[in-house]
Amino acid sequence: MALLEVNDLDVRFAVRGGDLTALRGISFSLDKGERLGLVGESGAGKSVAAFSILNLIAKPGYIAGGQVLFEGNDLAAMSERELRRIRGNRIAMIFQDPMMTLNPVLTIGTQMVEAILAHRKISKKEARAIALNRLQRVQIPSPEKRLDQYPHELSGGMRQRVIIAIALLLDPEIIIADEPTTALDVTIQAEIMDLLLNLCEQENVALMLITHDLGVVSQVTQRMLVMYSGRIIEQGPTREIINDAQHPYTQGLINALPQMGEPGERLFQIPGSMPSLKNVPSGCPFHPRCSFATEQCRQAMPEYVRSGNVDVACYEVANLIEQEKRMQEAES
Amino acid sequence: MTTATVSRWDRFRESFFWYSFKRDKVAIVSFVVLLLMVLAAVFAPLLAPADPYDLAQINIMNSELPPVGMSGADPAFPLGTDAQGRDLLSTILYGTRVSLMIGFGAVVLQAFLGILFGLLAGYLGGKVDAVLMRIADVQLSFSTLMVAIIVGAVFKASFGNLMFGEVAIYMLIFIIGVAEWPQIARTVRASVLAEKKKEYVDAAKVMGFGTRRIMFRHILPNTLSPIFVIGTVQIANAIISEAALSFLGLGMPETQPSLGSLIKSGFDYIQSGSWWITLIPGLVLVVLVLVINLLGDWLRDVMNPRLYKG
Repeated sequence: MALLEVNDLDVRFAVRGGDLTALRGISFSLDKGERLGLVGESGAGKSVAAFSILNLIAKPGYIAGGQVLFEGNDLAAMSERELRRIRGNRIAMIFQDPMMTLNPVLTIGTQMVEAILAHRKISKKEARAIALNRLQRVQIPSPEKRLDQYPHELSGGMRQRVIIAIALLLDPEIIIADEPTTALDVTIQAEIMDLLLNLCEQENVALMLITHDLGVVSQVTQRMLVMYSGRIIEQGPTREIINDAQHPYTQGLINALPQMGEPGERLFQIPGSMPSLKNVPSGCPFHPRCSFATEQCRQAMPEYVRSGNVDVACYEVANLIEQEKRMQEAES
Repeated sequence: MTTATVSRWDRFRESFFWYSFKRDKVAIVSFVVLLLMVLAAVFAPLLAPADPYDLAQINIMNSELPPVGMSGADPAFPLGTDAQGRDLLSTILYGTRVSLMIGFGAVVLQAFLGILFGLLAGYLGGKVDAVLMRIADVQLSFSTLMVAIIVGAVFKASFGNLMFGEVAIYMLIFIIGVAEWPQIARTVRASVLAEKKKEYVDAAKVMGFGTRRIMFRHILPNTLSPIFVIGTVQIANAIISEAALSFLGLGMPETQPSLGSLIKSGFDYIQSGSWWITLIPGLVLVVLVLVINLLGDWLRDVMNPRLYKG
């Protein structure tokens, strides 16, 4: 059994004039110690997916259907009290902007001790010792001093280290990292990513990495999901997807990566932009931007088809597989 | 432990707060004056030449003696005496004590109610917010004086005049505290509404913190600076409210005079030339309220997040 299993998750936002569907039929799983990438443009529903795993979608959002099974228990159906025992304790989360996620008026030590005491019945002294230990583990210079400092006294990179230390405080099974390096300098991004990766490997923690940086995903993760307009359109082993993307959207994303090339060369971009939730196109939501779109794509959302180890939701891919099969049959 | 306090003291010495205080002459003067007045009030029993509460020390023959420097003055009573022959200096010291106690007490009560209801209304929102804020609106539409008159009348009628003297100070704290809590509640609510959208609150939820812990341990410390500013101004307001009530005869009885009731007790004799009984406590009241308000202004400037770039 997978550590985390999301089955057919639907998330909607109740707004005036009806519900908007933010996530539709999301299914994936995460094994112990596995590293999973979640990729997509802004607005694809990556962060909503992360928050819905913890059942923390702010109103007017709500989970309209599906399950989030953590060790076999459905988080989507749990009481607030039970959920609190899991949040931070078993599943931790790291946010994008380290400037904003630390409470500006409490010292680092206070915040870490608070987090431990919310879940463990131990003395403040013991909690402080744990906090110190975690700060050492994220390789912060002079950790004892940091405990008594306020967030504004630390640099951005150090703050993100503190946040990773907080995520590690209670030895969680899963860390969800929502664009953990986006707000940092490029030079520090690699450092922080390395640190996170090493710690997850050492502790055998599963990492769910949400990002729009395909470079990071290809280096760090073993499997990846590609999201578009609230749906997973492609998922499978990272290497296979990066080397041989099946879905036209994923291909577009990979081609859109700027590369060191000739100066003056035009960057590739996918034409158009992601549809707003208010008017999602019929059928495959990507069809208005897709160069392979046919009448079929306009009619209905394609089912997943398997190509190698990758699941893809695309008629074009399905047709190609179909053709190949027929050709093989014809040959034999 | 000592290292922690030393570093806290050092931190304070290096803070913007201390820096701007050192550079602001008005703030320094106000603070020194307020500190002196508070100390004088706190140590009134040690400083005052006489005990105005002790009837045995009062001699009616000494009534309406003028302050030193005027003809007919007695050097034993440097600020003169009131109509009952009490030493005015001692009475003012004790009166300032009563006024300050009521001012602080009322603001502590206001802050308690205001913070609690403001946090609940702002953080929980929805129905809780609507109900609490409507109560606050209704409360604000009554004037403090009107509530005080009604409550005071009920108290006086039910306890009798003698008992009333003993409970008067608590009654005034209660009335002024309860009448003014919406001021603080609204300020707190407004800051909470801004704070609860910030990411550190999401982070706290993700850490599995309960609602109470998030409200009191994480959001409340972030709303403290406006509370401090408004609290300071509210102390001055409470002292004025108390003086006004006492002046109307609804506040402190003359046996335990506050500054307001002293002013009132002298007011009857102002026509007969005994101006000092009203004027001197009046001046003390004005100075007290003025320095508190000046400090409040300075605090507002320092703690304004738009000016303060820590």
